[in-house]
Amino acid sequence: MHATNYKLTELMVVRCAKEINDSEVVFAGVGLPLVVVGFAMVTHAPNMILFTEGGSIRATAPPGLAITVDDPALFCNGDASFGMLSTMAALQRGEVDVAFIGGAQIDKYGNINSTGVGDWSKPESFTYFAGSGGANDMATSGKRVLAIMPQDPKKFVEKVDYLTTPGFLDGPGTRKKLGMIGGGPSVVVSTMGVYRFDEKTCEMYLAEYFPGQSVDKVKANCSFDLKISPNVKETEPPTEEEISVLRNIDPTGFYLG
Amino acid sequence: MAVDKLMSLKEAVSKYIQDGDTVYYGGFQIMVPMALTHEIIRQKKRNLTTIESSTDVGGLDLLVGAGCVSEIHSAWIMNWYVKAPYAIRRAFQSKQTKRFDVSNFAATSALIAGFLGVPFLPVRGNIGTDMMKLNPTDLKMVKDPFTGEEMTVVRAWRADVAVIHAQVADRLGNVWSWGTRGVTDEFGAMGAKRGVIVTAEEIVEPDITRSDPDRTVVPYFKTLAVVHAPWGAHPSACRGYYGLDIRYSQYQGKYERNAELLPKFLDEWVYGCEDHKAYIDKYIQKFGQAGLDRLKPTLGYKPKYQVDYGFHDPAVWKGVPQYTDEYIKA
Repeated sequence: MHATNYKLTELMVVRCAKEINDSEVVFAGVGLPLVVVGFAMVTHAPNMILFTEGGSIRATAPPGLAITVDDPALFCNGDASFGMLSTMAALQRGEVDVAFIGGAQIDKYGNINSTGVGDWSKPESFTYFAGSGGANDMATSGKRVLAIMPQDPKKFVEKVDYLTTPGFLDGPGTRKKLGMIGGGPSVVVSTMGVYRFDEKTCEMYLAEYFPGQSVDKVKANCSFDLKISPNVKETEPPTEEEISVLRNIDPTGFYLG
Repeated sequence: MAVDKLMSLKEAVSKYIQDGDTVYYGGFQIMVPMALTHEIIRQKKRNLTTIESSTDVGGLDLLVGAGCVSEIHSAWIMNWYVKAPYAIRRAFQSKQTKRFDVSNFAATSALIAGFLGVPFLPVRGNIGTDMMKLNPTDLKMVKDPFTGEEMTVVRAWRADVAVIHAQVADRLGNVWSWGTRGVTDEFGAMGAKRGVIVTAEEIVEPDITRSDPDRTVVPYFKTLAVVHAPWGAHPSACRGYYGLDIRYSQYQGKYERNAELLPKFLDEWVYGCEDHKAYIDKYIQKFGQAGLDRLKPTLGYKPKYQVDYGFHDPAVWKGVPQYTDEYIKA
């Protein structure tokens, strides 16, 4: 039965989890990706393998919510744990199926900024966020990139202030020219919908909008000229069971709000 | 020769950290060396350069906010619990502190290059980004001498001294860390030119650490000082000892956010505490024993198989004749 009472963040997480296929190697960054993988592992992807920057390699869901990528919960009954080297080296070897990241700004080519806003070369104008962390490595070398980001016109921008993490850079062919082994952005899930990328132009387009949203509402919350799929459709709402499983994973709402 | 390196926090920092040093700042989102952070601030060390891959709970933010740091080489710095590194943000804007940004694996590779004693290492990431454009100090392109292809390399990072927190150390300086080993601490520490200052939850006798050398991430010969500091990573977590203090990280973050408020925090929680024990006592006085009790971890995740390293005495071969058969000519 479809849930009637849920937050957009919860739908974002449930919808995002469906982009993970069973048996895939998923490299999850800090924040909502940790909740999404926890949810995927106990629902449709029991054979998923989780990698984090903290060095966790595990085939089972952690016993509690991992708030950080080196969270103690990730190492209780984990499969292997020997540091950032071991998991990030797997990225460089091309063994990671899904690079799963967040960010502060994204452009139409899926380039992501998590460093800060303003003009870096004029320090007084620049507002620092955290920096790349592992997002750059994940998006450079993961076979495909899955991004999760709340919808906001300040986040979906024409040009990112600082290019931290490569999407398709300036368009078709550039990733290959630079020798990147990963395939680049595949899906972006926001609090309003689901985006994919055109195979020819590498540009982001809206594939789904969430229940209660509309193409126009999404466009109004996006600062670049958003392309819309001719087959754009409404996302199926989550089921009551999905929401209940999800709330169990993050009972205090640390990430789900 | 193995010597006793157990000393006070004050002695360790005053003896082994100098103004202008490059410091490997240990931990990640957990195991942040907070007791050492506070002591470096107390002793007003200046013009430090920090190197690390990623760091959380605002430890580095405090160090910068207290005016100790002039250069930061890092991939990610946060107080995740207030969603920003506020003091570092201000220090960059006022040009008090320079930033050199790389990706996490570039940072790890820079530390591994330091660990290996080689000048640089190739990495796959960073190319095509603003980090590549704006941080030529750490990142460059070179031609692969074997294939002729252009590739990214990161400069080796070597600290003068490393500061880390661990679960257990012995008085000689063998350091144990379990649960993903040190994340990157083993590289940052081993690459340090002078050596490592370690705070540990527990100090044990060397016969304990030597009974399980696989668990050792830093061997005694790299260690300068061992400090017994229970709760030494607070408010970050320490595996098997305590969890993350989210409420305190948020509390500290509210001070970090405000340039006028931050000195009050430093006066109360850092300068106003003689050592880390005084800091924890202050915590109990202000937020109650219940605050600390709330950080108790769920235990019961001990290894289910006790290994025996064993060895074989070659003396048993004494007097044993060569094995032979009809195909082997004597």
